[in-house]
Amino acid sequence: MTTSSGTALGVLATSGRWRRPRRVSPWLPFLAPAVVVLLVVGVVPLVTALQMSFTSFSYVLPGRTGQWVGTDNYASLLGNEAFLGAIVRTAVFTFSAVLLELTVGLLLATGLNATGRERGPLLGLLIIPMILTPVIVGLMFNFALNPQFGPIASIIRGASGSSVDVLGSPVGAFVALILADVWQWSSFMALMLWAGMQALPASPLEAAQVDGATTLQRLRLIVVPMLRPVIVVAVIFRSAEAVREFDKVFVLTGGGPGSASEVLDLFTYRVAFVNWDMSLASAMGIVEFAVALVAAYVFFRLVTRGGREA
Amino acid sequence: MPRTATGRRRLLTLVLAVVLLILLLPYLWLILTSLKTRNDIFSGNVFSAFAPTLDNFRVAFLQKGFARNLLNSAIVATTAMSIAMAVGVPAGYALSRNVTRSSTVLLFVMLAARLMPVVVLAVPLFVIMANLGLVGTYAGPVVAHLTFLVPFVVWMMRGFFLAVPKELDEAALMDGATRARYFFTLLLPMTRGPLAATAIFALINSWNEFLYGLILTNKSTATLPVATPSLMTPIGTFWGQIAAVGVVTTLPVLVFALLVQRHIVRGMTGGALSDG
Repeated sequence: MTTSSGTALGVLATSGRWRRPRRVSPWLPFLAPAVVVLLVVGVVPLVTALQMSFTSFSYVLPGRTGQWVGTDNYASLLGNEAFLGAIVRTAVFTFSAVLLELTVGLLLATGLNATGRERGPLLGLLIIPMILTPVIVGLMFNFALNPQFGPIASIIRGASGSSVDVLGSPVGAFVALILADVWQWSSFMALMLWAGMQALPASPLEAAQVDGATTLQRLRLIVVPMLRPVIVVAVIFRSAEAVREFDKVFVLTGGGPGSASEVLDLFTYRVAFVNWDMSLASAMGIVEFAVALVAAYVFFRLVTRGGREA
Repeated sequence: MPRTATGRRRLLTLVLAVVLLILLLPYLWLILTSLKTRNDIFSGNVFSAFAPTLDNFRVAFLQKGFARNLLNSAIVATTAMSIAMAVGVPAGYALSRNVTRSSTVLLFVMLAARLMPVVVLAVPLFVIMANLGLVGTYAGPVVAHLTFLVPFVVWMMRGFFLAVPKELDEAALMDGATRARYFFTLLLPMTRGPLAATAIFALINSWNEFLYGLILTNKSTATLPVATPSLMTPIGTFWGQIAAVGVVTTLPVLVFALLVQRHIVRGMTGGALSDG
């Protein structure tokens, strides 16, 4: 179908007419409704955000009526310590949480892989944390860590001998946020990795077993390297989710104490809906959008590798 | 030899089950707390005996109006899910069959929308909805949820349709059926299971959503996750009622999720990965 010269003029020259008469694709009625909906609910807001990010607009701040300010909002982000701080905290949170989830997930998946058909009920238990409403999970840990009567707090009290207000300390709150995320998402990682393990060829593992490799050696030297594509996809997906953490942090720490656990989306939310600076928040959103687009592209290439699904 | 191997496997299953149950203790605490009086919640030991009561449920849902929030959640989730299914399922089919440059771009756009941070769209959506006077109506959360539900349904159903052999399409079309007729009378009835699974995950995703709801609803249209934090007040936190609302919010999700357990990996990755 393709001609040697790629340009339209080249096609005209070699064939003497347009290569393909334009006609309506039979797929149009199938695709059009979804495209229209996405244009309205997705593209219109994005364009609005882009436009707002070059203006100065607020519902409450005086004198900000939507006048054009060029790249001022973006420029002010560069020197905005709270914004940069939120980026660093988000990076630390994402890295720690996903790394822990990968570790716990790998252990659970290895265990799961070694069980037999009786694993059915285990899978049922495993899916519980990941489908619980994130806000409820956040509130649940807030309750559990309550210094007066929280069950986890009372365990800590029993171990350390003194009452500890975990959420009242900057490090404690940040760690609690990470662990709440690990609690909710490790089993997701485990399920993905286990699905990957099921698809691995058995012979290298059997050979290693015959050679006397321990379980840990087999995991490190054979399973993990063979599972690499699955791990990469799982880590990118989980990271994209962790970067936009909002629900749990909103109800668990509220970003505090101070700004100790204020991650990026919570900070943006506050700029927009507490300070009512819609323009600055839009600029932050556009920056985040650009980063998310790159991550989505990498992820897309991985899951559609060679035109087939991973 | 085989007997010891089986024995070891059983032991491992048991150990894993215990580990998972310990991990799930916080959720068990939540359920127990929902059944306790204020005094029982504050009196030390979590697992000590107590007289279970449904007072928390009664006060939260009947006196404090959480029945309304429950209804709001159901309205928003079913409306958003229905629209997303209506436009997303045909698109998923088209994208499973039609591999051109523009369909690949479309598929990527859908994935990018799925991975997009919520605040990116939340700010402009609020401004648009405010201009249209729609903040505080159901239109707000429904429109906002479509931003992630449509891509989700498209990717999820595309994955299922990829598994249906193309030869079936061709045979039906050769017999003179139109593409639309084949799609509605043959393909959809054939994929009832995947359709149900996709609809359930779409419901769950909308039901669990928080930030859009927080921004775009008001007191009378707030969904359950949005209304729950209001039980943490300056004069004290009603933990028993929070637990009761938490249980009512999560139990339907649990039941639904167990129904579609088989497709959970696909469902949780927005259809981007198959279940292996």
